[in-house]
Amino acid sequence: MNKKTIFLNELKRFFKFILQEMKPKGKLLTPFNIISIPIMILGFILIILRFVKGLGYATNLSQEFPWGFWIGFDVVTGVAFAGGAYVITFVVYVMKVEKYHPIVKVTVLNGLLAYMFYAGALVLDLGKPWNIFNPIIGNSFGYNSVLFLVAWHFLLYMATEFLEFSPTIAQWLGWKKLQKILKSLTVGAVIFGITLSMLHQSGLGSLFLMAKSKIHPLWYSEFIPVLFFVSSIFAGLSMVIFEGTISHKVFKDKIDAKHHKAFDEMMIGLARGAAITMFVYYFFKALLFIHEGQWSYLMDSWGILYLIEVIGLVLIPCFMFAYGAKNRSLGIIRTAAILTMIGIILNRLNISIITFNWNIPAVYYPSWMEIVITMMIIFTEIWVFRWIVRRMPVFED
Amino acid sequence: MESYSYVNIFETKGLEYILLICFLLLLIFFVRYIFSSKKKPDESLK
Repeated sequence: MNKKTIFLNELKRFFKFILQEMKPKGKLLTPFNIISIPIMILGFILIILRFVKGLGYATNLSQEFPWGFWIGFDVVTGVAFAGGAYVITFVVYVMKVEKYHPIVKVTVLNGLLAYMFYAGALVLDLGKPWNIFNPIIGNSFGYNSVLFLVAWHFLLYMATEFLEFSPTIAQWLGWKKLQKILKSLTVGAVIFGITLSMLHQSGLGSLFLMAKSKIHPLWYSEFIPVLFFVSSIFAGLSMVIFEGTISHKVFKDKIDAKHHKAFDEMMIGLARGAAITMFVYYFFKALLFIHEGQWSYLMDSWGILYLIEVIGLVLIPCFMFAYGAKNRSLGIIRTAAILTMIGIILNRLNISIITFNWNIPAVYYPSWMEIVITMMIIFTEIWVFRWIVRRMPVFED
Repeated sequence: MESYSYVNIFETKGLEYILLICFLLLLIFFVRYIFSSKKKPDESLK
């Protein structure tokens, strides 16, 4: 056979395989599907309406509040939760802690999808979405803007995460030679990815540095970039614990017995990591609070909100992680992970929405369309994640 | 004759230093606490 025939045969096999894989696997009428499908259809229609009729139709954004729920929740919070990918790849490929190897692929997949969907949601929030290419094509680079850094980092990090996950895709397609080549690139991609992550996690915090007069002093600090970076570590770890627990139950048929046994140990190890980083983060917050002499701000409702966030959703889950890790209690660890995730959501929303413009009478609430579109994005990501996990060897070594 | 003047801990930023020292000491105990976890059930049977 000549090369052309081999190539055509391979192409035929590839399309046949893809068509076969497109067929649904698993039950169609599940509670999750029944809830998610109508929301996804409605969200899709609303996205079309948003692009046809403009931002004013779908959102409650205004001159006072140019950034709303899509930026505050989808982009700023979603990217923090995607931090698990760079933490786990660092631990496995750089620190060589093989214990966490079974969850590397699924964590990278989660990170990749989170960036694709949540960072991709940035397009929804742009008045002129076609301008998103400007920092890339050089129409208006804007070197001095933090958004320039964030735009490039998101793009490069998505490509890097795809490269990290690509050996699994090659394995799924049965392309062994390519899989070998892609696998050899993993360590380089991981190191590049960690560098990018550290910079754009803090870069997202840097976006708020110019809003000193608008953000409440309890949340504003020159160290927001550092706080964003440190909090992304335990946000990512909490997400890995939360997502890992769900995946462990939903995809138990895909996980082999060896990994089932190692799962508890991995969760305890992740809880230790989360506890230590939260302890460090809490002292950063305490140090900044004392340094700025912010005692007087604690006397009103903003102060109560701050204490709920810092003590109720950072310090308490930190001790819960520590207690859970010491006593090997997965229930406490899972509860701590959920509390931490709520804390991260509250922190990011406090900075980007809730305390933003705290000193003016105007108030921003997301419209129902903003919420439905956000839910649509989350559900679509879960659908894509489920589709990939059911087909590709994500839980295999 | 000059009178004694006590150092104001709030003006000297001494509070931050104290907090930092406390943090570093507490971190040691915290890490030791976390890693002093109970043995796995199957290990304790051995």
